Amino acid sequence: MAEYWNVNPDYEISAKSFLADKPEADVSLEFEIAVKDFVNAGKGSAEVKNTLKRLGVDPAILRRIAVASYEAEINVTAHSEGGKMYSYIYDDSVYIRFEDKGPGISNIEQAMVPGWSTADDLVREMGFGAGLGLPNIQKNSDLLHITSEYGSTTTLEIIIYYS
Amino acid sequence: MAVSEKKYYHAIQLIPENCTGCTSCVKVCPTEAIRVRNGKAQIDPNRCVDCGNCVTICKFHAILPKSDSLDIINKFQYKVAILSSSYAGQFTEDIAYPVSKQALIELGFDEVAEEAMVTDFMVGLIRDYIRQHKDIRPILSSNCPAVVRLIQVKFPSLLPNILHQEAPMSILTRFLREKIQAEKGLKDSDIGIFLIVPCVAHVTAVHQPEGAYKHLQDGAFSIGMIYGKIRDRLRKMNNEENKINTYEQGLTLALSGVEAEMVDCEDIRALSVNGTDNVIEILSKVEDHYLDQYDYIVLRSCTNGCVGGCLNVENPFVAMSRIKKLIKTSKHQKVDTSELKELYKDGEFAVVPLEPRSIMLLDQDIKQAIQKMKKLNEILVMLPGLNCSACGSPTCYALAEDIVSDKASIDDCVVLLRRHQKEEE
Repeated sequence: MAEYWNVNPDYEISAKSFLADKPEADVSLEFEIAVKDFVNAGKGSAEVKNTLKRLGVDPAILRRIAVASYEAEINVTAHSEGGKMYSYIYDDSVYIRFEDKGPGISNIEQAMVPGWSTADDLVREMGFGAGLGLPNIQKNSDLLHITSEYGSTTTLEIIIYYS
Repeated sequence: MAVSEKKYYHAIQLIPENCTGCTSCVKVCPTEAIRVRNGKAQIDPNRCVDCGNCVTICKFHAILPKSDSLDIINKFQYKVAILSSSYAGQFTEDIAYPVSKQALIELGFDEVAEEAMVTDFMVGLIRDYIRQHKDIRPILSSNCPAVVRLIQVKFPSLLPNILHQEAPMSILTRFLREKIQAEKGLKDSDIGIFLIVPCVAHVTAVHQPEGAYKHLQDGAFSIGMIYGKIRDRLRKMNNEENKINTYEQGLTLALSGVEAEMVDCEDIRALSVNGTDNVIEILSKVEDHYLDQYDYIVLRSCTNGCVGGCLNVENPFVAMSRIKKLIKTSKHQKVDTSELKELYKDGEFAVVPLEPRSIMLLDQDIKQAIQKMKKLNEILVMLPGLNCSACGSPTCYALAEDIVSDKASIDDCVVLLRRHQKEEE
């Protein structure tokens, strides 16, 4: 199984200890992402965004969370057999996990290269598939962790801190 | 983020005697500012953005626009009316535009100016602003006061994207004040400048301008309020030709699509969006950096732009078609705006950085807010999810929010109450 890590050094300790403990969140959201359902794609991340607005998260941080979760949601819509988005909201950070039903990423390192994409024609016609999804998620998150097996499933986790 | 204690003015008034508690207004409010409590509608002044949707939807005359009384012009020695561009679309085509403009003189104004006079100048200003602010994309138009307030309330992260310059009618007011003082030898206080506007948001903006350094206008009259008086004058005037100058070519500001086309050029890509729901959807996409490829977005709360304002009398599509015809069939009138260009260069039209109105917060303290959100979610699963508004809150989510904020009780849900009654039977 292949794995990819990217952690903002400022948050390395807290992020890793978070992943080890996975404390229960007071507020969590669950969203079903259907295969190639571009009509509803983005609604899960919009829900997270609207929840965070009510909690008073800094507007600039809110936009980072919006971009990272939107891109990840689109990725599941465009490239997978569908999946689920789980969002856990804490008082200092948000942890979002995307679990799909496959088919897995054949080469994660390559997928991280800006402009590289395996998007099919349908996806490109919809205006997606520019190969900027994963790099954009990385840019806007404090932790990005991808585990994937080609021919099997992919899990993508992000953590973003509010300050 | 500090929530300002400032009292917000609104050009909307509730008439409780007329309110039936039908909740139509509750459902159309984009910021969920309205609740029906004890059978009557209430508006939260902190949330209201003056879009006018409730004024349009209310069938019982329980939500009415506020407009200044026309008598107030008599307090001034020299009275000026500035016409919002949508005015030109309100009259049937047998009434010539210059005649409908002359009717305002007959009504008691000494001078009638048009928003349209500064259109070319505005296009130049907007383009220059976009080029000067390359680090911010997209720039969002600030002409519609309801949109500006909507961003303050729901999209505070986009405040820096707003074009931080005065609206065209305010720029024109500045210009006219100085011109009239010089030409007529009058004191500033002798001159009364009034806007003829298509919507409540503009009336509010005159009384409480957002970000403006100076209070510029002395009042605002809605097109709907003066329309009857204008028609009376028109009948007496017999549609006679007159020599009043008109600026049809500049009427584009009333149409959000045409304004975007005018700003759009080789190095500036512009998008036009109108209607409250569309504006909200687009702002959410801007927040996600999904529309960064646009340099400028024209945002108008009403259908087709200002022609859709709730205080117009004509349908927004008919008014748009008439204005387009006027633009097509007219000659260009040159307006000397060199003075305005100087003022712009000196930064005279800049407005103070706009501040958020973060009223969507559950609590100032994030720990408390999360606890309230937890409780909100627990309540939400108990509610029926019909979003029927019978409780007086717009949705089940909003009711849950009201309950955790101690503004409502779960017993307000009539569907749950009925279920409980059935169980007891």
